[in-house]
Amino acid sequence: MRIFISGGCKNGKSYHAERLAVNQALRPLYYIATMRALDDDDRARIVRHQNERAGKGFITLQQSRSISQILTNCDCRGSFLIDSLTALLASEMFTAGGKVDRQAGNKIIEEIQLIIERIENIVLVSDYIYSDTLSYDLLSEAYRKALAAIDRCVAGLCDTVLEVSYSQLTVHKGYGEWDAHN
Amino acid sequence: MILVFGGVYQGKLDYALKHFELSLDQVYFCTERDSTLPTGKKIVYEVDKWLMALIMNGLDVSDAGKKLIEANPEAVIICNDVSCGIVPVQENERKWRELVGRVMSELAKASSQAVRLFCGLPMRLK
Repeated sequence: MRIFISGGCKNGKSYHAERLAVNQALRPLYYIATMRALDDDDRARIVRHQNERAGKGFITLQQSRSISQILTNCDCRGSFLIDSLTALLASEMFTAGGKVDRQAGNKIIEEIQLIIERIENIVLVSDYIYSDTLSYDLLSEAYRKALAAIDRCVAGLCDTVLEVSYSQLTVHKGYGEWDAHN
Repeated sequence: MILVFGGVYQGKLDYALKHFELSLDQVYFCTERDSTLPTGKKIVYEVDKWLMALIMNGLDVSDAGKKLIEANPEAVIICNDVSCGIVPVQENERKWRELVGRVMSELAKASSQAVRLFCGLPMRLK
């Protein structure tokens, strides 16, 4: 099953995403980590997530840029968890040299379309960052807009779309598939 | 009247145009500068911006929802949901955020349908 899962921060997205990935039928089971650690907060978060995943059978791969590389580096007949589209866009858009790639969103959309076409068992995680009053600077707004375009594309292509609200799930798409598997 | 709401960039306008088979020339585009009561179109887009215009111009907002409903009984009203962030520092933004919430509730009550968009997908709440 192809599953897209999003929601607010610290709502339990990763917990559900891992559970859903483990429950997929195919193996090997890959965890594709997209976050590029920039500071101690990031490093601490990565260690916490690694500990939570320990013993669940994931093969962890780091792919913070050019996500379609997983199609050549992995067995596409396996199951995948991509955590997260948010971090992937951040590392593609805000490159190490301080340059901003404004085409990063479109590049990711093209790569993700290929991935979803080739991989049947996949869970993709994003973050819902669209319902506040803040006026952001132009760069942050461009990032938010690009992430939303990626989200809409992925939600359109996946069989099942879930929203996590403080550990509770809302099914936005694919009730039938969801009921059959859970 | 039909209420379509959701966060920014969630595909609200695309959904309304496609689902109700309407075109862009049938859309009233609200702005944060124009406090004129939106009316006369099939879709009223970003009604939250009109509410901001009322506040910026220091106008009475107590019956904003009622006026909007009376002026657009058959329209699709589209609104950005701005209720899920922290309380804004600026007083005007605080007033606006609460006004949007109050007016959205009034619109939802007066509507025959209320639809929330999430990543391009509609969820019918009413």
